[in-house]
Amino acid sequence: MSARIGVPVFPGTNSEDETLRLLRDCGGDAALVHWSRAHDLAGYDAYVLSGGFAYEDRIRAGAIAAHDRMMDTIVEAALGGKLVLGICNGAQILLEAGLVPGTGPVGRPTAAFTRNGPAPHFVCRHVFMKLAIAPERSPITAALSEEKLVPAWAAHAEGRLAASPEHLQEIVDGGHLAFVYASADGSLDRRAIPNGSALGCAGLINRAGNVLAIMPHPERDGWDFNHLDHRRSDDVLAPSGGAALFASFVEAVNEA
Amino acid sequence: MTRAVAVTLKIPDNTAYTAAVALRRLGLGVERVERSEIWFFDDGFDPQTLLARVRADERIFNPNKHRAELVDAGAPRSGELWIEEIEPAEGEPRDRGRVRRTGWRLYGPHGVALDRGGLRSAAERLLCNPAIERALF
Repeated sequence: MSARIGVPVFPGTNSEDETLRLLRDCGGDAALVHWSRAHDLAGYDAYVLSGGFAYEDRIRAGAIAAHDRMMDTIVEAALGGKLVLGICNGAQILLEAGLVPGTGPVGRPTAAFTRNGPAPHFVCRHVFMKLAIAPERSPITAALSEEKLVPAWAAHAEGRLAASPEHLQEIVDGGHLAFVYASADGSLDRRAIPNGSALGCAGLINRAGNVLAIMPHPERDGWDFNHLDHRRSDDVLAPSGGAALFASFVEAVNEA
Repeated sequence: MTRAVAVTLKIPDNTAYTAAVALRRLGLGVERVERSEIWFFDDGFDPQTLLARVRADERIFNPNKHRAELVDAGAPRSGELWIEEIEPAEGEPRDRGRVRRTGWRLYGPHGVALDRGGLRSAAERLLCNPAIERALF
């Protein structure tokens, strides 16, 4: 029997459907769990927090959801070693909950995905995330190749990593910088960063390697028909591109 | 001299209500939350002229939704904390010309304003992310 992946749906979450579909297309036994059934979450073996605007991003992006009762279960699960992936708003929630980079106490954020720069506007742009850690550093990335480029869409107004210089150094030294923005050829180019993110950060991981937070959406470039260079093929619904990260996640969940 | 004007919703404030619920969930004795935008101005206007100008500025004031009042520019009111964005590092975005803080007034049972300890706890646990903000009491 395969492990079960819960996709929590907060009031305001809006990317749960494509997240669920890609998890399933990559072989995952995934299901949505709405906030009204929060008590069901404990029965899952791993979690994917999808994008959106949980609780309308009131106070700050992810701040209210980080203290929702669904997060009580997810925090406990994460501390117990279960795998957790957060995408976009899901990543903001994980930062606000203090699970990533995880350099402070739980519930006390030490960094933020905040207002984009240099212009504080919403960006919707195709990007590439380059794996910046050794794949084996985390079970979630273990099936990816060294310096793997994962295509995705950045779609956010608050995706810029910000922290004090000391905390940014801690993120680097502690190996928390999981993904960085890169050009299509894999080179690290400032122009590839869509939001002014410090360190060119596209994703952070905790010390134990079981909680990953990424800002861009790989699930929006996860099937053949999504790709900018798409050529009509026999199976336009074949998982590909950004699906690589989901496949790696599902493989890790099923092996755990 | 620097003057401050608090612009507060006079219609129900969903964000303030959500903050109150979240703070109660975190164990703080908060019954009611009032949220304001605190705007700071350096100018030579007399207070009433400044207030009239704010009320005429449709970018920050809607007479159907807001009320505006002059407040002490030096410190938050009783039971209030201010959240201020930390100045971004060089090369990061700045909102030129904007000087604004978010004011949170927290009230416990029977409408009693929270003391400084309660305000500090609310800031640390929810209202302030120290990576990008600082709380002023």
